[in-house]
Amino acid sequence: MKRTATRALGGLRRLAGMATTLLVTSFLVFSSLYLAPGDPASFLVRGRSASPQELAEIRRQYGFDQPFLVRYGHWLDQVLHGDFGRSYIFHQDVSSVIWSRLPATLLLVGVSALLIAVIGIAAGMVGALRRGTRTDSVLMLLVTVGAAAPAFVVAVLLRSQLGVRLGWFPTIGNGTGVLDRLHHVVLPAVALSVTFMALVTRVTRSAMLEELGREHVEVSVSRGTPRWTVIRCHVLRNALGPIVTVSALLISGMLVSTSIVETAFGMSGVGSLLVQSVNQMDFQVVQAIVLLVVAAFVVVNALVDVAHPLIDPRVAAAGSAR
Amino acid sequence: MRRTAGTFLTVAAVFTTGACSGTAHSDKGGSTSAAYQLTDRTPAAAGALDSFSWSIYAEPTSIDYAYAFDYPPNQILSNVCESLLRWNPDLTTSPNLASSYRNPTPTTWVYKIRPHVRFHDGTVLTAHDVVASLRRHLDPAVGSAWANSFRNVKSIDQSGALEVTVRLKKPDSTFNQEMAAGPGTVESATTLAEQGKDYGSPKGGVNCTGPFSFGSWNPGQSLVLKKFDGYWNPKLEAKAGRVKFVFLSDATTRVSAFQSGEVDGGWMVPTDSYAQLRSSQAGKLYFGRNTTVADEVVGDLKGPLGDTRVRRALLMAIDREGIVKAGAGGVGEVAGSLVTDNVWNSAPAATRKALLEDLPRYPYDPAKAEKLAKQAGVRGQRITIATSPLDSQSTITTQAVAQAAKDIGLDPKIDTLPPEKYSTLFTDPAARKGIDLFLTFWYTSITDPLDMYTSLETGASTNYGGWSNKDFDKAVEQAIGTYEPAAHAEANARAQRIALRELPWLPLHTQPVSVFLGNRITGVRPSIAYLYYPWAAEIGAKR
Repeated sequence: MKRTATRALGGLRRLAGMATTLLVTSFLVFSSLYLAPGDPASFLVRGRSASPQELAEIRRQYGFDQPFLVRYGHWLDQVLHGDFGRSYIFHQDVSSVIWSRLPATLLLVGVSALLIAVIGIAAGMVGALRRGTRTDSVLMLLVTVGAAAPAFVVAVLLRSQLGVRLGWFPTIGNGTGVLDRLHHVVLPAVALSVTFMALVTRVTRSAMLEELGREHVEVSVSRGTPRWTVIRCHVLRNALGPIVTVSALLISGMLVSTSIVETAFGMSGVGSLLVQSVNQMDFQVVQAIVLLVVAAFVVVNALVDVAHPLIDPRVAAAGSAR
Repeated sequence: MRRTAGTFLTVAAVFTTGACSGTAHSDKGGSTSAAYQLTDRTPAAAGALDSFSWSIYAEPTSIDYAYAFDYPPNQILSNVCESLLRWNPDLTTSPNLASSYRNPTPTTWVYKIRPHVRFHDGTVLTAHDVVASLRRHLDPAVGSAWANSFRNVKSIDQSGALEVTVRLKKPDSTFNQEMAAGPGTVESATTLAEQGKDYGSPKGGVNCTGPFSFGSWNPGQSLVLKKFDGYWNPKLEAKAGRVKFVFLSDATTRVSAFQSGEVDGGWMVPTDSYAQLRSSQAGKLYFGRNTTVADEVVGDLKGPLGDTRVRRALLMAIDREGIVKAGAGGVGEVAGSLVTDNVWNSAPAATRKALLEDLPRYPYDPAKAEKLAKQAGVRGQRITIATSPLDSQSTITTQAVAQAAKDIGLDPKIDTLPPEKYSTLFTDPAARKGIDLFLTFWYTSITDPLDMYTSLETGASTNYGGWSNKDFDKAVEQAIGTYEPAAHAEANARAQRIALRELPWLPLHTQPVSVFLGNRITGVRPSIAYLYYPWAAEIGAKR
């Protein structure tokens, strides 16, 4: 009984923490954008000759003439009602601008996440189990190259070779229909995930190696427990904590790094939208995207926290003993 | 037109990042003219086409004609919405939705509206639609990008079932010409009222009279136009059933989409891919008439460049041939003036000839330039040249200008700004503080040098350096108020001579329009008129 109450309290505390994080972020984002140099009104007139009266009218229409805190309060109130305002540039509601781009980015991040998790972890395991062999050294070489290769270089390479020269994959657009979309997302996903894959491989490899060197593993092996059982029950299970944490953070961070790849493959997603909106000072859109990304981070972190005890019983035990 | 930020954005998009491509076709004589040729019309289309796709470097933010002042919205809209008059690919003007027009007094323009023209929703065009469309530019709440074109307008009224009368506060020779560009666009009055703030957005679209109608707009991705079967003008009936505009902001992505055949064509090919695309099996690269001149704007007339001698010396020390070769892919000519020759089309031959003979010239002569600068006593003084790192052309040009400044004894500093900050140079006087020079690619959207020279009048917001010359202002005002071609050209010529003597901006080079056509399509007329002329209607199947 007492334990349930503590748990519920812990949950509430966590929710409050998440809300505070989002609130603080929203304030920081809102204020930093208004500190940025340049006048949004002058962007709205887009270089044509506007009279001071016209500029004043635009400032009034968009509320730029109001005090900062009033604007923030107004904006926060809107956001809490699910209204992110209207894009200055697209003349549409921000939510519809973002909704139209979100599926492409989610698919891209989803496929990349799958590649990172499956290939990254598998390669890391192979490296650790084959430590010191030729397979391991080839893998480590690939990891070094992969970690150092910028996404845009990989993108250009993939596009020119597999797209233009061999014609195996489309080089632009999101595609339509399930199969076509998947076909379109392959090259961008590979370009996006190469670096992250390399990092996960490295983390997996070292986490596994650390566990392999532990006493209880050596004891288990010496007692004649089958190798695979040892790896599954002792090594992998214990190594999974850091692997999952790193992978989850990398994947949620990917939301922001999609812009380069989306631009290179002419995909319309949230990443390219963010860059475009920053360049054009489309404040409402930038604010909404940044909040979205921070929310994704917060949620992913919470999920990792929740998942940890499930993966590693020691964490749960430590938590309840406290 | 005053198209600065937009113009810069174009520059940013037109030229890719990456290394300098050198000359596309290195002809040994040193003249750049043999390296390319202009095409009036690509081979005529052999027949109809289901659809073709076209790349654009940026997604339009709206296709409301009141905000269409930049390449992306205009190259789409020119096929959908029509103006009272039409700007043709040969840069002449002809009747369009106005079947005729009169100018009974210098301050009155009367437009006869063409009968039996239908909007895309099937309703018939009336004078009421024209009045509603034009009046939007006068409404401060709309905030039209073309408001300046209407600065001399007193009233716009219906004067008959199919007649509209515009009254001006004073004679304005550019007003009627601008009716062939964005300012003269006609939309259904009912649609404007019904769509309200959604007008021109992906949700609302537009309802005009052009050969194509608005189909769909998938934000971030593409915009589709459909052939309009009820189009009034058989000569410009669309040959393709559909056009799909694909938004591709990355220049190398655009070029590889051309090469893989995933898009059929596009305007404004990145200069450093000229060589690559000329030898491409996937299609052909064409160049056409343009009104664009690359200029170095003098942003600060209180600094070392405040002395006319220093500006002249600097222009003489800039290797403009070299800039064309290395920066512009060998395509273009050293500019003799701030406007291209073809905007003088309506001037009498005698005036043009006299003008050419009488034009101040600044041939490349670093030694003479150095002497001239020495007289001005600016040796060792610091000047700041602003640039933005997006494209190789700007970088190369800026370095050439810095070299020239050094050659005449100045101490140049290159200030590299992020693109968004760079475009504020064109809108915000505070941003120009301490910037002596910055690059722009300036085009006129009517066939009249006045479109450029009004930008340099005292107090004009586009007169970035705050240059002021009474004789120049007088000449410009006289040209604005004079309709008679010879006298109009004469006044224009006077303004041009003063501008070239004083050099508030330094003209660098001209740049033709470029267009790539894939192997499936043909028929387009390469010309800057694509911003207002229904160019896509002429594109059809190759064989």
